[in-house]
Amino acid sequence: MPILDIAGLHKSYGSTEVLRGVDLQVNTGELVCVIGPSGSGKSTMLRCCNLLETPTRGRITANGHEVTSSAVNINHVRQDIGMVFQQFNLYPHLSALDNVSLALRKVQRKPRDEADQLAQAALEQVGLGAKAGNRPAELSGGQQQRVGIARAVALKPHIILFDEPTSALDPELVEDVLNVMRDLRQRGMTMLVVTHEMAFAHAAADRVVFMDGGVVVEQGTAAEVFETPREPRTRSFLARYGSARS
Amino acid sequence: MSGDSGFLFTFFNLAVAKQYWPAIGMGMLVTVGVGLAVVATGTALGLALAVLRSFGLRLLALPIVVFADVMRSLPPLVVMIVLYFGLPALGLPMSAFAVTWVALSLVLAAYAEESIWAGILAVPPGQLEAARSTGMGWWQGMRCVVLPQALRRAVPPLTNRIIATTKNTALGSVVALNEILNNAQGATSHAGNPTPLVMASVAYLIVFMPLVFASRGVERRWGRA
Repeated sequence: MPILDIAGLHKSYGSTEVLRGVDLQVNTGELVCVIGPSGSGKSTMLRCCNLLETPTRGRITANGHEVTSSAVNINHVRQDIGMVFQQFNLYPHLSALDNVSLALRKVQRKPRDEADQLAQAALEQVGLGAKAGNRPAELSGGQQQRVGIARAVALKPHIILFDEPTSALDPELVEDVLNVMRDLRQRGMTMLVVTHEMAFAHAAADRVVFMDGGVVVEQGTAAEVFETPREPRTRSFLARYGSARS
Repeated sequence: MSGDSGFLFTFFNLAVAKQYWPAIGMGMLVTVGVGLAVVATGTALGLALAVLRSFGLRLLALPIVVFADVMRSLPPLVVMIVLYFGLPALGLPMSAFAVTWVALSLVLAAYAEESIWAGILAVPPGQLEAARSTGMGWWQGMRCVVLPQALRRAVPPLTNRIIATTKNTALGSVVALNEILNNAQGATSHAGNPTPLVMASVAYLIVFMPLVFASRGVERRWGRA
């Protein structure tokens, strides 16, 4: 059974239809990369998975819980679905450690010292154990994003959603973040990653999904999608974007 | 009698000062008391209104905006007079202390709501999204993530407004609240000498100068982050 199951997902803003029936499954332990042109609905699809956006229509099931059901306790389900944001969205008034431990304390109700230990371990996992006491403003963009990943990891979610995690980074900082993601993959974390990093998607993804115009146009292994794309839209996107970036 | 000693006799008359300093002292207690009460209820109400407004319901937001705009437009003295002379007609008479407290609390709440609301708006929406994505509820996210940042931005304008509003306790003299100014005016006419007014000025400095100094410290500390 897939850990994340998206079926017939529609999302409209007024009369603008951003998602027109997305179907997508992510299996346990998989790293799935979603690529596609700007405005293709990738981020909206991702944000629907934890209800940061409310779907207009369709069904999303995560770890057996129907996210789109009106009876769902969304705060409960979200602990199982980590999210990493393009702009990091770290809490600027808190130290790196507190950024990671906040939800452990406030949501999972762990005592301070236990939460701090778990947060410290998560920071060490992303290579930032020594920066626990620093505020986000004292960290580089790459370090901030790694704290963002630690914040998601610390809650021990079943899947982590990445919304263009390296798009706001200077090129020389991108690799640090991608390495952390590769390491997570090694540890068996299930990940759904919206990205423009074609080389990363090509090399690291178990499966690549190409979206355009609010639908999944094509999906397959990285080799299939990048080397022998079936759809003309995928081919022209890769010709424009893939070769330019990787 | 030389001009100099006439000046001293008129404005710094020790005999008058000695007789009336207890009255001025009592006035200081009342001013400090009503001032503290106004700061506590005014900022608390302003904070509550700003939080309610950020809940995102038009039905809630509209009355709050109207309240804030009306209260910021009316001179505080008018609010006090309306409460003092209007409420008894409704069968709800209030003491001078209560009227001053309620009126100035409403005025401070209106300004505090605007300052805190502006602070909330300045926090990027991604902050609450990040908090919610970790399973925090709306209120948890507001309390732990958004409000600490919003208040940091709101404190410098708020401290100025707190000083301005608490100084308006002097308006309580109009509804016969026995605060500093009212007592000084009474003493002045009783003694036939304006020395109590000079004493009142000194009393105001004693009460409010520390507040001004404190606000400078607060602005320096909170303005940075």
